[in-house]
Amino acid sequence: MKLLTHNMLTSHVKGVTKGYPLLIKQATEVKVNEVDFNPQFVTRMIPKLEWSALVHAAEELGQRQDLPDELVPEYENNEEFLKKVHRVLLEVEVIEGCLRCPESGREFPISRGIPNMLLNEDEV
Amino acid sequence: MSSQDEDGTVEPGHNTAEPSTSSSNENDETTEDIITVTIGATVPTGFEHTAAEEVNEKIGVDARISKDRGRIYFPITTDKLFQVHLLRSVDNLFVVVEEYDHYQFKESKEETLMEMQQLASKLPWTKALEVWKRNGTLKKKKGYRKGGNGIKVKPNSEATDAAVADTEQQELPQAASAAECLTKAENTADMETSTQELEETAPEAKPIKFRVTCNRAGDKHSFSSNEAARDFGGAVQEFFQWKADMTKFDIEVLLNIHNEEMVIGIALTEESLHRRNISHFGPTTLRSTLCYGMLRLCKPQASDIILDPMCGTGAIPLEGAIEFNSSFYVAGDNNDMAVNRTVNNICHIQKRRAIKGSASGLPIDTVRWDLCNLPIRTGSVDIIITDMPFGKRMGSRKKNWDLYPSCLREMARVCTPGSGKAVLLTQDKKCLAKAISRMGGLWRKLHTVWVNVGGLHAGVYLLKRTGAVFGQTPEDVYESRGTVNAEGDEKGDKELS
Repeated sequence: MKLLTHNMLTSHVKGVTKGYPLLIKQATEVKVNEVDFNPQFVTRMIPKLEWSALVHAAEELGQRQDLPDELVPEYENNEEFLKKVHRVLLEVEVIEGCLRCPESGREFPISRGIPNMLLNEDEV
Repeated sequence: MSSQDEDGTVEPGHNTAEPSTSSSNENDETTEDIITVTIGATVPTGFEHTAAEEVNEKIGVDARISKDRGRIYFPITTDKLFQVHLLRSVDNLFVVVEEYDHYQFKESKEETLMEMQQLASKLPWTKALEVWKRNGTLKKKKGYRKGGNGIKVKPNSEATDAAVADTEQQELPQAASAAECLTKAENTADMETSTQELEETAPEAKPIKFRVTCNRAGDKHSFSSNEAARDFGGAVQEFFQWKADMTKFDIEVLLNIHNEEMVIGIALTEESLHRRNISHFGPTTLRSTLCYGMLRLCKPQASDIILDPMCGTGAIPLEGAIEFNSSFYVAGDNNDMAVNRTVNNICHIQKRRAIKGSASGLPIDTVRWDLCNLPIRTGSVDIIITDMPFGKRMGSRKKNWDLYPSCLREMARVCTPGSGKAVLLTQDKKCLAKAISRMGGLWRKLHTVWVNVGGLHAGVYLLKRTGAVFGQTPEDVYESRGTVNAEGDEKGDKELS
């Protein structure tokens, strides 16, 4: 699971209203895979992200690499910054671990890089 | 300057297609004459215009769409021949020997077939055979693999001899490990190709093996495709002194007849390119060429988030991650085998890329989820693209009546209002059309492409997400399941559009 995906995932357990962002726990296997850097992709993606959720998730994995709490203005021209964002969005992958709903505590396992978000019948 | 022996006509019994020792060496390209030929390509029916667009974009020529559905034609010079192998929307390629727009077939079967036999010796075979030959060496030099995509290897003129040799050597171990994943048919064919190549480079001339494939459509013909193939093939054999072989052939001659249109060609692809990305098939894996056509329809932009909520083996998002790689793809399915196959297919491609020395990671991720209850933030997806269960090979018609409207609602929720799009493939056109009209407040139909998928008539629907905020329109308020919205209040003071 890449952190860009994590940024979009939310807990949908019945009755939960604050299911975002999911907490990353027990990340026993994390990989960093090289992906071609596309500055335009990163620049356009940043406004679509929940920035604090991204930074928090990166921190949980020990991959924060001094990303700031808040976005600095004119980040579009800062290639070094864009490359760091590129790395946490696309290159860092959780292979084994789990995602925990911040409200209900329900855990969704991640195995082979695939988060299993299926709910049981009573949770829907 | 090496020039071929012929001056235009081909003498019978003279194996002009046989690579002679003087002209079969590796660095021949620069000394060969450049000739212009017409290339024919078969494409998924319904996507002829898409394919023509791609040809225009990548080769810079205008393609002609044939009246015979699923075929386009375009001119090319032999120095640019390698470009045809970069096309993602074509299933098969062939070089045209001759085309007739209004061929007057004779009244009787005997006369028609007799005429076809005579035709064999009169056709301008030379240029086409030359192109066929060059295409063969092209594939060898670039380490072109069947079912694989030669894009990542640099054109020969830029690479040093050592680099070329390395590529070819590296291809072998890769083919061996990939062979474990490939289906049996492809594996055997791979081995057949290599043995044929060895035979061709032997100095002593071995007889060329060929077969004729005839496609005939039209209700005014007095003959069948089998008869035409048989008689035409017999005459070709006489003329060239080639050996006929249905399975282990070097040359495949194509005889395509569509009403009054007749095209004779020589195949440039041994096996359809359409399964290129997939090594782990599922029960209904979609052709990559069809996936490409669907992706082009929705015009992915840089940083678009593209979801396939019923991804199966991941064919569509994987084609997207490779060919429209400035977007990000999330492939999802509720089925355990499906998500695992998807991940396997992704890994396979990444390994191939790693071996070729490029960054192996692709902008794609896989999740296991329930498509009617997506664990995705509201309004965070730009495009939804998927192959919906047909009800024949997977699922059932009855299930579709419930599934389709639920899908559309949930897809509308996660899709960005106003700018979001959906591209949906289905054979159950009636059911989807009804579901779309029920969801008129959320989805608007822009365009439909009629296609043929495994013999079934299907439709690709391009939909636009209306500007209506989810939770406001009559459809979703009435049937709302109270899905979690991380963005805040669904019931904000927003107007209906």
